[in-house]
Amino acid sequence: MFMLAELQDTLKVPPQSLSLALQDAITQELANLYFDKVLKDLGLCVTLYDISKVEGGSVFPGDGAPHFTVDFRLVMFRPFVGEVLIAKLKRCDKAGLYLSLGSFFEDIHIPEHLLQQPSKFDEEEKLWIWNYNGADMFMDLEEDVRFRVVQVKYPPIPIEQEKDARPFAPMAITGDINADGLGLVAWWS
Amino acid sequence: MKLKNGNAGLLTNFELMDLFKSRGADRGNLGVANTLSPAEMKVYDYLEKTPAGSQTRENIVAFFKATEQYKLTKAEYLQVSNLRPASAVEVHLIVEDCDERLSSDAVDQFLGAIEEILPPIPELEEPAAEGDAGEEDAEADGDEMEA
Repeated sequence: MFMLAELQDTLKVPPQSLSLALQDAITQELANLYFDKVLKDLGLCVTLYDISKVEGGSVFPGDGAPHFTVDFRLVMFRPFVGEVLIAKLKRCDKAGLYLSLGSFFEDIHIPEHLLQQPSKFDEEEKLWIWNYNGADMFMDLEEDVRFRVVQVKYPPIPIEQEKDARPFAPMAITGDINADGLGLVAWWS
Repeated sequence: MKLKNGNAGLLTNFELMDLFKSRGADRGNLGVANTLSPAEMKVYDYLEKTPAGSQTRENIVAFFKATEQYKLTKAEYLQVSNLRPASAVEVHLIVEDCDERLSSDAVDQFLGAIEEILPPIPELEEPAAEGDAGEEDAEADGDEMEA
């Protein structure tokens, strides 16, 4: 679910941070730049793992701040394809289920065709039901769902967005619950 | 920004939890000042409620030793420690080609080892597991599983 990424970046450390220890000043800059942001194909940056090298400190003419070349490692949230995760069912509609991991990642979608077969959407209850050997198994909201990651997508930023559209998700996970052991955790315990 | 290595190793939930604790995320431990941002605390709050919330380094090392014979891959170990499977159907989900690699007796023994060594999911009301304060300043380097 979490992995490390090694990056190098050239940072400008503002003069007001120069009273701090250099490492703290650089950590602060990295936090502003990367934390809680999605980097394309790398995932959601969770935190800084370590700083391995700091070089430079040159001040360019006409610019009152030193620039450092920093090598560092970030902890990224990026599940691998095939990984099994547990998330909470937040809402559902005809297109499938929408899950969230804690409160830090909310863009997990289980499309209709990857639900257990046969499943149907109950219009009255607004819930999905898995028909298992004649028994109706409801997929209630706020329940823990175990799913397998099928795909991690990084959709391009839309140029125009409709007024009532949901907030844009820079990283979206597609999951599958069509196998033994997947689906509501309560079903299998 | 220059990408040097986009995949420099996997991190278990426990390792990330340990990293956060070393920066003072543990509300029960006032010895280390909390330097985490709200976004980082969100991830910590989530991890606290997973099996990683009660694991210690000793648990994990003992578990790896006890289950060496099953020859699981690193990604499989990662998921076992993150999810702490409690039934055979969950082991089959995590371990690829489980039927060929593990006999049903082996699966039972494997579940027994999990039950015995890895602590259960922490209760919601309780603060995160304590007792690993001695490791707080241990270097996190080299702990990650290289993929």
